[in-house]
Amino acid sequence: MIMEKIIEFKNVSFRYSDDETDALKDLNLDLYAGQFTCILGHNGSGKSTMAKLMNALLLPTAGSVVSFGLPTDNEDNEIEIRRNVGMVFQNPDNQIVATIVEDDVAFGPENLGVPRDEIRRRVDEALKIVDMYEYRRHEPHRLSGGQKQRVAIAGVIAMQTRCIVLDEPTAMLDPKGRREVMAALLKLKNELGISVVLVTHFMDEAVLADRVVVVNNGGICLDGTPAQVFSEKDVLQDIGLTVPKPLELVSVLKENGVKIKGSPLTCAEFVECFKEFTKNRG
Amino acid sequence: MSVLSVHNLIYGYSKGTPFETGALKGVSLDFRQGEIVAVIGHTGSGKSTLLQHLNGLLKPDSGDVLFEGESIYKSKESLRKCRFDVGLCFQYPEQQLFESSVYKDIAFGPSNMGLSDGEIKRRVYDAIKFVGLSEDYLEKSPFDLSGGEKRRVAIAGVISMEPKVLILDEPTAGLDPIGKKNLLRLIKDYNAKTGSTVIFVSHNMDDVAAVAERVIVMNKGEAVLDGTVSQVYSQGELLSSLGLDVPEITSIFLELKKSGFDLGETEYTVSGASDAILRYLKKEGLYD
Repeated sequence: MIMEKIIEFKNVSFRYSDDETDALKDLNLDLYAGQFTCILGHNGSGKSTMAKLMNALLLPTAGSVVSFGLPTDNEDNEIEIRRNVGMVFQNPDNQIVATIVEDDVAFGPENLGVPRDEIRRRVDEALKIVDMYEYRRHEPHRLSGGQKQRVAIAGVIAMQTRCIVLDEPTAMLDPKGRREVMAALLKLKNELGISVVLVTHFMDEAVLADRVVVVNNGGICLDGTPAQVFSEKDVLQDIGLTVPKPLELVSVLKENGVKIKGSPLTCAEFVECFKEFTKNRG
Repeated sequence: MSVLSVHNLIYGYSKGTPFETGALKGVSLDFRQGEIVAVIGHTGSGKSTLLQHLNGLLKPDSGDVLFEGESIYKSKESLRKCRFDVGLCFQYPEQQLFESSVYKDIAFGPSNMGLSDGEIKRRVYDAIKFVGLSEDYLEKSPFDLSGGEKRRVAIAGVISMEPKVLILDEPTAGLDPIGKKNLLRLIKDYNAKTGSTVIFVSHNMDDVAAVAERVIVMNKGEAVLDGTVSQVYSQGELLSSLGLDVPEITSIFLELKKSGFDLGETEYTVSGASDAILRYLKKEGLYD
């Protein structure tokens, strides 16, 4: 099956104006439609820069970024690109503009000139998807961080973007808020077929993705399924990342000579592996 | 001996409005000299409100806060003294940097304490070293630093007051794994070197497991659990019902126990868990 390319990085370099080194160096990457892609890396690795290049918030210093077939460095493409690729940032308080939840979600489609009835329909649908419909008449500043982020995500859905890029959307949330946001993102991918690009440094979020791209020093250092990427424990540790705890525990047991099989990425997978091991030995 | 204690603290926000919420509903706690305590709870559980009482930033509707046995609200002097003895570092403290150089920013607290120039200088140099930054940083503008560096400078600004109790509200939020590890080590070092009490708020149960000796769980304005890390984390189901997670290793442990594997005390770190599993496998003759 040939997968549709949605965002292409072609030999992309990027340097912030007052920096002496490149934030991204000759980077090549294709992202595909309908996938949940996770971009992992430590602070300063260049992952947020990549996110901002995807919808022309930043333009490459060298090379080109093509977003849904449109080069981002052509100003005429800007509106269409922003319509295709929506962004959600880390701090929920910085991206809510209206005083009522549903007005905030309507802000995007209003700016696109969508007819009133259609806006009403889209706003309701978007709020239902992120499970915030019952809060539609609430004041955003009284919501929890996780709820605010879901309102921000609804705002992007209401614009009917084909791809949503999120830059560490859960960094400021508590565990419950993080779970709510991750559940909403999986729903977007599974039910609406929206491509999701999640920039994060939480390993337990990365294991839920279809594909994990690890960025270091402005380049790509690992790229594959979560199972493939997290099998490179030494590489990850060298660049300051960790592997998911269940996998770390299994590796320690294996190092101690326990003949347990498998590479569990989640708690449930570990428990399965362990049961399997004791059953076969017992 | 308890260095700081709160007695029956009651505090409400937006009193007399329809939005009135009881943020603290009768909290009593003792913090002992030299312990590292983690306070956990979901957003809105009252944990930040509690912290803001510990150095008198908020005044309770009723109840009292005692520092070394004396009410901090007794007089203006006792309140002022408490602000220096109990150092509070807010969430995202890097947003509060304001001076033109790192030196001046770190020196701000000690200067307000009326110390001599020589003493201020010693404290600034000690503090910057303590947070793991070289002296070269002192002349830089705090706004030219990376996020992790700014965070450390902000914490140095509190440490330079050499507080007997250091309080940090979500010190690792937003940091990557290495930044997190360094900061947690710093908390441990400060405690070990100075013998000060450290109290910190965290959402991250792995962070808590890595440094804390004692965990207090806040829910709806009350302290609902208070004990060692192992004691508190063994209450996995209660914690999830309060909107909290247990560390992944602990969930594995609780799940294995539920499946009938007798692994003993609840573990929360990879090394603790692997040791316990190896012991179990040896006992069962599955490993030699």
